Amino acid sequence: MNFQYIKKSMVPAAALVLTLGLNSCTKDLDVQPIDPSKNTTVDAQKLFNKCYAEFVLEGNGPGDSELDLGDPGLSVLYRLMWNANELTTDEALCGWNDNGISEFVSNNYTATNDCLYGMYWRLCFGISICNQYLKECADYDASMTAEVHFLRDLYYYYLLDNYGNPSYTEEVSTANPQQIQSAELFQKIVADLEANMGSMLAPSVRKKGEANYGRADQSAAWMLLARLYLNAQKYTGTAQWDKARDYAQKVINESGRSIWMGDNATTHKSANGKYSAYQMLFMADNDQTGAMNEAVFSFIQDGASTAGYGGSTFLMAASWDGNMVAAFPQKTDQSWGGNRLRKDLIEKFISLSDFDALPDWKPATIIAAAGDDRALFFGDNAKGDGGVKDRSYNNDKLSEFTQGIATIKYNSQRSDEGATSDSKFLDNDIFLMRLAEAYLIYAEAEARAAGLNVTQTTGTAYINKLRERANNTNLKGSYTLDEILDERARELYFEGVRRTDLIRYGYFGGNTSYTWQWKGGVQSGGQFEANKNLFPIPTTELGANTNLKQNPGY
Amino acid sequence: MMKQVNIRIPFRMFVLLLGLFLSVGAFAQIDVRGHVKDAQGEPIIGATVRVASTQTATVTDFDGNFTLKANQGADINISYVGYQTQTVKAAPSVEVTLQEDATVLENVVVIGYGVARKNDLTGSVTAIKPDEKNHGLITSAQDMMQGKIAGVNVTTGSGQPGTGATIRIRGGSSFNDSGNDPLIVIDGLAMDNQGVKGLSNPLSMVNPNDIESFTVLKDASATAIYGSRGSNGVIIITTKKGRRNQKAQVSYNGNVSASIIKKYTDVLSGDGLRKAVKDLYGESDARYAMLGTANTDWQKEIYRTAISTDHNVTVAGGLANMPYRVSVGYTNQNGILKTSNYQRGTVSANLNPSFLNDHLKFNINGKFMYAHNRYANTGAIGNAVGFDPTQPVRSTDDRFKNFNGYWQWTQAADGLYDATWPYSKVALAGSNPVSQIESNKDRANSYDYQGNIEVDYQIHGFEDLRLHMNFSGDWANGKQTQDVQPWSPDNQYYGYHKTDKENKYNLNYTAYMQYYKDFSKTQHFDIMGGYEWRHEKYWGNYNDYGLFPSTSATPGEKYNEQKSEWKSEHYLVSFYGRMNYIAFDRYMLTATMRADGSSRFAKGNKWGYFPSVALGWKINEESFLKNVEGLDELKLRLGWGKTGQQEGIGDYAYFATYRQPTSTQALYPTAGDGYQYIPEGYNANLKWETTTTWNAGIDFGFGNRLFSGSLDFYTRKTTDLLMSAPVAAMSNFSNRVTKNVGSLRNTGVELALTARPIQTNDVQWEITANATYNKNKVLKLAGDGQPIQYGDVGLGTGSTAMCHQEGQPMGSFWVFQQVYDEAGKPIQGVVVDRDNNGVIDNGDRYYYKSATAPWLFGLSTRLQYKKWDLGIGLRANVGNYVFNQLKMGHRSLEFIGTGTGFMSNSMPYAYEVNYKPSDKTYDALTDYFVENASFIKCDNITLGYSFDKLFNRLGGRVYASATNVFTITKYKGLDPEVNGGIDGNIYPRPLTLLLGLSLNF
Repeated sequence: MNFQYIKKSMVPAAALVLTLGLNSCTKDLDVQPIDPSKNTTVDAQKLFNKCYAEFVLEGNGPGDSELDLGDPGLSVLYRLMWNANELTTDEALCGWNDNGISEFVSNNYTATNDCLYGMYWRLCFGISICNQYLKECADYDASMTAEVHFLRDLYYYYLLDNYGNPSYTEEVSTANPQQIQSAELFQKIVADLEANMGSMLAPSVRKKGEANYGRADQSAAWMLLARLYLNAQKYTGTAQWDKARDYAQKVINESGRSIWMGDNATTHKSANGKYSAYQMLFMADNDQTGAMNEAVFSFIQDGASTAGYGGSTFLMAASWDGNMVAAFPQKTDQSWGGNRLRKDLIEKFISLSDFDALPDWKPATIIAAAGDDRALFFGDNAKGDGGVKDRSYNNDKLSEFTQGIATIKYNSQRSDEGATSDSKFLDNDIFLMRLAEAYLIYAEAEARAAGLNVTQTTGTAYINKLRERANNTNLKGSYTLDEILDERARELYFEGVRRTDLIRYGYFGGNTSYTWQWKGGVQSGGQFEANKNLFPIPTTELGANTNLKQNPGY
Repeated sequence: MMKQVNIRIPFRMFVLLLGLFLSVGAFAQIDVRGHVKDAQGEPIIGATVRVASTQTATVTDFDGNFTLKANQGADINISYVGYQTQTVKAAPSVEVTLQEDATVLENVVVIGYGVARKNDLTGSVTAIKPDEKNHGLITSAQDMMQGKIAGVNVTTGSGQPGTGATIRIRGGSSFNDSGNDPLIVIDGLAMDNQGVKGLSNPLSMVNPNDIESFTVLKDASATAIYGSRGSNGVIIITTKKGRRNQKAQVSYNGNVSASIIKKYTDVLSGDGLRKAVKDLYGESDARYAMLGTANTDWQKEIYRTAISTDHNVTVAGGLANMPYRVSVGYTNQNGILKTSNYQRGTVSANLNPSFLNDHLKFNINGKFMYAHNRYANTGAIGNAVGFDPTQPVRSTDDRFKNFNGYWQWTQAADGLYDATWPYSKVALAGSNPVSQIESNKDRANSYDYQGNIEVDYQIHGFEDLRLHMNFSGDWANGKQTQDVQPWSPDNQYYGYHKTDKENKYNLNYTAYMQYYKDFSKTQHFDIMGGYEWRHEKYWGNYNDYGLFPSTSATPGEKYNEQKSEWKSEHYLVSFYGRMNYIAFDRYMLTATMRADGSSRFAKGNKWGYFPSVALGWKINEESFLKNVEGLDELKLRLGWGKTGQQEGIGDYAYFATYRQPTSTQALYPTAGDGYQYIPEGYNANLKWETTTTWNAGIDFGFGNRLFSGSLDFYTRKTTDLLMSAPVAAMSNFSNRVTKNVGSLRNTGVELALTARPIQTNDVQWEITANATYNKNKVLKLAGDGQPIQYGDVGLGTGSTAMCHQEGQPMGSFWVFQQVYDEAGKPIQGVVVDRDNNGVIDNGDRYYYKSATAPWLFGLSTRLQYKKWDLGIGLRANVGNYVFNQLKMGHRSLEFIGTGTGFMSNSMPYAYEVNYKPSDKTYDALTDYFVENASFIKCDNITLGYSFDKLFNRLGGRVYASATNVFTITKYKGLDPEVNGGIDGNIYPRPLTLLLGLSLNF
């Protein structure tokens, strides 16, 4: 065949094709995003907000997560941490069959638990966001930068406390991070906090509407250090009670915070006389009333603008059902009937025989019998056979919400019963750290630092102050370590710190003497292994990052 | 081997024959006057009439008449493109009716960037012409393909009018759903795989009445010319055209149909529920007091018998060298769920003129579609099963005043601060299904414009070389508007308003040059090379909100508004080529190559290369078989090729970006305006997913078209699978990003058979059957052997029942193994501790069956007796399983009373299993609820009668058909055909009875 001829004819034809075609050529392939929702440059303030929001929001809005961790509401970090640190203890249980919940309740969690994967990833994600901020915006504002250091330390603190030996990096990199051991991580967190906290905002109560409301100030860093040192033995093998005591003291003396005694000093009640001072800490206007004086660090919640299914809406709705709402009308239509008390928490306030002897189980009756405003319990149902004492505290059937006494500690009303901002989501800020906890840390650390198993004068006074605020007249001359632990249960129940406390006391995994209903999955109270004092590194994470080794025993 | 031939070869022959001079014989000749018409009685213009064994020939005129001279009794052959050649004896007056020839289409098939003679194909290619007589209700092109093609599985989403279908060719080769959709090419324009609001998928963008042919390219040697988009097969659709020199012909095609619900879910009646509550809790229990006195059948309240109509008018003809076709269609389809409706209007026009002695040809298409969708609230389907039947539909009780008189479960509404709204619905309670439907007005309007101009130029003086260009585009927009009344149970008080608007266009330009050469009578060679440029752009906006009612403190203010805008685009730039070589008309070689550049990948990964090679051997042309009586065809094919896939990954997956949530409830006001910036996960190393396919096939035909078919074996291995994979915490901004990890394999056999047992003048009987076996196996996944879980079954969060896992088919069920008692009843909460560690956890779940049917069968048959025709279409899937979520959700009778403030309904089957409420997921996430969903379905039965002289001049056909006639299955749910494997509550597919009429004026 005549190739010359073909070539000759093909060239002009090819030229024609190409001129038509190459008006738009391969450089079209180099695009830049035109989507208005994709921003390629950073906005320091907005990224800063995300460093906080990661703790309590889904991401994109209520019910809409930016991560792929299953149900968006369930996978909010605060809710995951609450579940892992309350449902595993003698305070709370839940009968939902959300994957991972029943493993917490019966202390048989494994590395495939979805909640544990979600909590691990969300904590690490918080760190990644902080790392990104520190990489891109460190020069933007000194106090904001110091705060992001604090937030990153806070995320790491929860990784340390829950997982012991997590991933660690301060870089923004696609390389898989290395694993860090518990003791070393403790040192890093403490060093970073101590290096940066001086640049944080000066301690001050900042109510909603005031400048810098919602931001962590130096007292939050001190409080975190107090918590870290209080549990140093678990993290490093060496106790540091004196430092825990000193940082708690610093919070008490220098934070400008005060224990909220109520609008009416003699009865410690709200102005309308309906809600106790203690109750006001957990109500919709807690960011505006004097309750805010007690908050060392809180998460912002607002039904109209900072809302989700994993913050205070969860705290309240998960522990209420429709019958409770019928008895105590609420500002939200949400009542999910999940979390309620283990009978052991009732016993911290009142013996079961006395409890049985009560004429009814209305909150007022229980509070009066317990002699303590903090016994915000609910045992009468409108449903069923008449409604009096028809709940069982024995939790025979985990899946039934009425099997167990409920709590009204969290409620959606304002203390003045005024309007809230949304008919679904709550306005109640979450007091992650409050002064009462500093009082309790001080009392315990002071005793332990002195090598005693009872409180000293100052510590005793602090505990009595908390009792006084609860209108509890049983003020003692001293409290044993076990009594401090019980006091912590009364003061801080359902606030997400119980698991850490039980571990510090040696009453969690590996202990056979301190038991509670359904501990280890046995209704009468069983036990579980000491290795469960750390949660496992999630299997999915081990698969994605081969630098990680599983915690012992899993 | 794909020998390139011009699609208009038949026309050329016609032109050639026109030029033949009639040679007039000398002996005993008579004038033969004749008339040629088609089965509908329409005259056929331009048919060739030839006296056998002579050069004497003519063509019919505009009235279908001809005259020629022939010896009395001589054979006269009458032939015309698309019709079977007829032979008649010469007589003074003859009348000839030509029958359409279904095999004509098989002779020349449209392939990627060209056409090929069926005989010369080396790849696995199936071409079908829609059977216009044997079908039931068809509203979308997808309905025409169901069960008709080996290896092609079409599953419609539900019985909702206008709903899309999932099409899988030879199993899925990707993990993401959109990545498994075949490429659809309509008149040369590759469609993008997304619909717009109101148009569910690309196939819904063409009126099925306008479709001339489907070609399905299945193996890589056929699809590699489409490169990065060829991995999941290619469906090429061509639309109908006019005929040259044809008198304008007007035809009408329409039908009216009635859709009827086939089966209701078996639930407790009002009396049944009252008895159940009494037996469970006693009459003194508060729950018993909550029950009403009614006996409402909620399912009957929400469904209806739906009447639908469809009309199409076509004008087709040819003004000399300017064939044209214009069609107008209107469909009005009502759904069986009250208020659901789909209306569509289409206009399509085609012109294909030729100039310069047929050297320059144009093919111009314009299509317009308008669709109006009215969506019913399908939430009512589940509520009709679960809502308390003892309650009435409406009540005059004051509690329901704010619900427009519809009965609901109510509670005090304290949080609304509105004295006129004392009651709200109990949040967790079911909603009155009738009020859900009546309070919801949700509709979409969509417009679609498609057009293309195809130019084909055969170079003067060098006719072996041809230049072909196609400019095409598709512009679509859709707007969905939803208004929900404030009295609705789902959006009480504030109501709900939504607008969701989508716009898109897709522009495509391709040009190729083709060179043919026959070196000798035995050596053919052709080569083609081209360039393609494509740009797709999408944008839209979304807005939803509630409104504070007039009685509130802030009347008219928006409540919980969400607003967003989005925009995206991508480009694809390609070079492609194909070479064919045929020796001795029996040895064939085809090689193709495509290079695709995509803007979806970062520099360095933008370009992918997709080669293929195929061999063919027509054994029946060999001397040792050439004279074997009755052997029509025997051909071996062998092909290999690589194809790619890039769908479902987003246009900007390799960019590091921040996103600002649009929700006004997602603020965290510590700085600035309180909005957040969320860093997004990304992967700068993304590249193409690659599928390597081997295909070996054999085509055969015996007994002069009595029996023909093909058998194909294939294996397809996909590597660098694009999938969402877990990433190490702190190494990215999302816990899963799209990565190239993993591989999977599909291996299969396909058999397609056609038999024509009876072919006489009065009786024609044709049976076509196909069978497919496809075995899918995941070879490798990302992560450490962790299954990819999906398929939430609503058992609390994280309760997924399905997964992809190494060594298992894609979409396997991942469940606990149920233990049964001696009577065969499941024992609640007792499952096998498969890993023997004493604890029941995920380690005890096992891989049990798959949702995808390994076996597919299709059978259609058509019997024609004189003017009567009878068609039946059957389809079977074997070996597919379904998780019966509905049954699982009603496993315990006690669920009727576990909610606070409301009651629910249950199913009689709950008495059989008798579970108790429990917090253990493994109670219900077991293989007990995974049921065999193999089925045989009769898609349609059609009976028709054709006439050619109605009122002395009208030709046409009347027919009646039934669609979705019956289903044979062991599956206990309503319908075993469940897309995805989890049977929640789909919109039921109805039985449709249809009366249709075709008329040719």
